[in-house]
Amino acid sequence: MSRSIQNALGLSVLALAALSVGCAGPRSYVVLLPSPDGSVGKVTVSGPAGQQLLTRAQTGTGLDGGKPPFEVSSEKLARDFGAAISARPALPEQFLLYFSPGGAALTAESDALLTQILARAKARTSVDLSVIGHTDTKGDAKANESLGLARANTIAALLRQMGLPDVPLSVESHGERNLLVATPDETDEPRNRCVEVTLR
Amino acid sequence: MTLGNKTKHRWLEVMAGVMLLLAPLAQAQAGDEAIGYVKTVTGQALVITAGQSVKAQPGTAVLLGSQLKTGRAATLGVTFKDGTVMSFGPDTELTVDEYLYAPAQDQLKLTARLGKGSLNYLSGVIARLKPSAVQIKTPVGIIGVRGTRFVATVEEGL
Repeated sequence: MSRSIQNALGLSVLALAALSVGCAGPRSYVVLLPSPDGSVGKVTVSGPAGQQLLTRAQTGTGLDGGKPPFEVSSEKLARDFGAAISARPALPEQFLLYFSPGGAALTAESDALLTQILARAKARTSVDLSVIGHTDTKGDAKANESLGLARANTIAALLRQMGLPDVPLSVESHGERNLLVATPDETDEPRNRCVEVTLR
Repeated sequence: MTLGNKTKHRWLEVMAGVMLLLAPLAQAQAGDEAIGYVKTVTGQALVITAGQSVKAQPGTAVLLGSQLKTGRAATLGVTFKDGTVMSFGPDTELTVDEYLYAPAQDQLKLTARLGKGSLNYLSGVIARLKPSAVQIKTPVGIIGVRGTRFVATVEEGL
């Protein structure tokens, strides 16, 4: 091999190395992706070399915070994150059940929804549930907390009766302190008389 | 209020006493309650809590302070109580340092440490209600979340 070819080869190897380093970008990095609903949020990075803000999908930045955002190809995403992405559990599912005023009796529509919740719970592998009672702001907060708990317990008991397998289930009451629809105090609001069932 | 001042005072004392009695109980239970569950596993993955190592299987509980660890060809997926979903690629270590999920009391916090490996993160209720409450720390820098999905990878020695 002539000297000049050797030199040329050496140079191109160097160039390739430089190029691949350039393409590779930082080895520790974060990439913003669209949420399952299609929306794109924001990610901030703060590190020893500075701060960065990601606002566009499929842009990334090194975790040291020193370099401005860069585009990340789908190939690179698949290579670096394919395994993690493929391991994603099924997304949580949420159901809202509504009650007649002041008591723990379900409306007719919500009664029917229970069957659907049960079917979905059985269809998921390794499901756990939370059953959270909510009330409207009619009456005092303490009484509403108890009422919310009574509603949540009613639903949990119904689901068990209907054949919900023995899976982790938490029963909570948020009473009138976590309104699904914001209202002033002492407001009769059917949409707040509710039990929220989440399947995870 | 028809209670006399003296009665009121007595009532406060009783309440304070009850709260003092309950405080240590609440603390003792803080680390025993599941904050999430393993949902998917391929290969060898571990959930390590207070020095105790448990082989990860669908349904394995994740507690406050748990370290999640995947082997060379393994993956793991976890869903937290607030609906935050995290999944991990091979050779990954993530520790959950802080987890508070009590929306009614406005107590919301999620801090985790990604020591190495790859993470696919999807926001839950904590990030939705209080975006500043979620932080993923890495040996290099800190990732802050503003209600969203991201992936992150950390290579050792960087």
